[in-house]
Amino acid sequence: MNCEEIRDDLEAYVFGDLGADRARVVADHLESCPTCGAAYERTRSLIGDLKELGESFAPLERYEVPSAAPRRSPALWGWRLTAAVALIFAGLSVAALAVPAIAQQLPVPVARKLDRLESENERLASEVASLTIELRSIGGEEVPVVQDPETDVPADEALAVQNLAMSFVRAQYAGDLEALRDMGTERLRADLAAHPDDYLRAQGAEVVFAQMTDVALTEDGTYLLFVRLMDSAEWSESQYQENFEIRRVDGRWLVDFMGMDA
Amino acid sequence: MDEIELVERARNGDERSFALLVRLHERSLFATAYAIMRSEWDAADAVQDALAEAYAKIGALRNAVAFKAWLTRILVNRCYAVLRKRKHDVLTADPPEPEAYTHLGREEGLDLMRAVRSLDLEHREVIALRYFRDMKLTEIAEVLDCPLGTVKSRINRALGRLGSALGSNPFVEVAE
Repeated sequence: MNCEEIRDDLEAYVFGDLGADRARVVADHLESCPTCGAAYERTRSLIGDLKELGESFAPLERYEVPSAAPRRSPALWGWRLTAAVALIFAGLSVAALAVPAIAQQLPVPVARKLDRLESENERLASEVASLTIELRSIGGEEVPVVQDPETDVPADEALAVQNLAMSFVRAQYAGDLEALRDMGTERLRADLAAHPDDYLRAQGAEVVFAQMTDVALTEDGTYLLFVRLMDSAEWSESQYQENFEIRRVDGRWLVDFMGMDA
Repeated sequence: MDEIELVERARNGDERSFALLVRLHERSLFATAYAIMRSEWDAADAVQDALAEAYAKIGALRNAVAFKAWLTRILVNRCYAVLRKRKHDVLTADPPEPEAYTHLGREEGLDLMRAVRSLDLEHREVIALRYFRDMKLTEIAEVLDCPLGTVKSRINRALGRLGSALGSNPFVEVAE
């Protein structure tokens, strides 16, 4: 092979994309040809810089699945939840949420997607309006529960999930990190340890469970529950929401994720 | 769990696996779209659309091993669709907007980014696919639907131009 043929293969050689036989020929040539050796060094350096450049990009915002919803964008999450609740109640698969969820969470932009989703949301809102609400006794309180006529979660399991969420909220207002920890999976415990302030609410404030949803079950065994809350620290403010993912681990009901929402 | 297993699970509707795949690919997808589009907003839009399309269609992906090339092809097609809408593909003199493109590397990286941006489309895209998406020549040929030799020569030519722009052309002594 002459120098020109060697140079032609230098890029693939540096990249590691050359067959073994060919790579050996190139390697042998480089040892004996200082000019090609210098070209090899320059190519290697440039390719290294390009790879480093690619790794230096940081997308504006990272995609999150609904289950790992970021607390940093409550408006979008809340917006999505409105649609999510409606869809779950309409008996649709939770997975069907993911496309609009992606549209919401990926970097940027998005006026046109919001337009489309808003029109979709109006339709979903009318479906929500047709749902019935009943008072259920949960954790010693009468709580309005939005009923899902097509839920496949047995009543006793739903009650256990709702009771756990209520105990969790009460511990948040009591500032009882140990109790929160005891109610959480390993995943939640790790997040609690890293961001305890995200879990604590106005200490000692009176809390009202304004509304809960029925419990939905995803294909991977996660129970979803959304709880609307008000507290005496901010009566003048509108309600807020906590979104729970609860799992059954070794017979115990545990909170796997809690996200706060506007 | 390796990527193929994640793809298999995502094909069967597992949302979390798809989200993990997004996590694995989002950076290089964004970098690639940025290199092709030269606009971070367009790039973000293209990535967003491509991932939504991928999510919608992943159930129909027959070969999990081909996921990377398949996803890249969706992205590149999205980029092309936007570029086609632009009547003029005008190169702006501005560097990447800092609020959208965070350069975490060495200072020289900015000069290199400018040099990449100054390439024409067919050279920008092979550079992005090769070094940002880390793709083999055969994969790039498949994504761009062009002969392997064309991909190889475009990469060599692009490297030559980048080297010249940065003052060290590794191919300067080889006639094209």
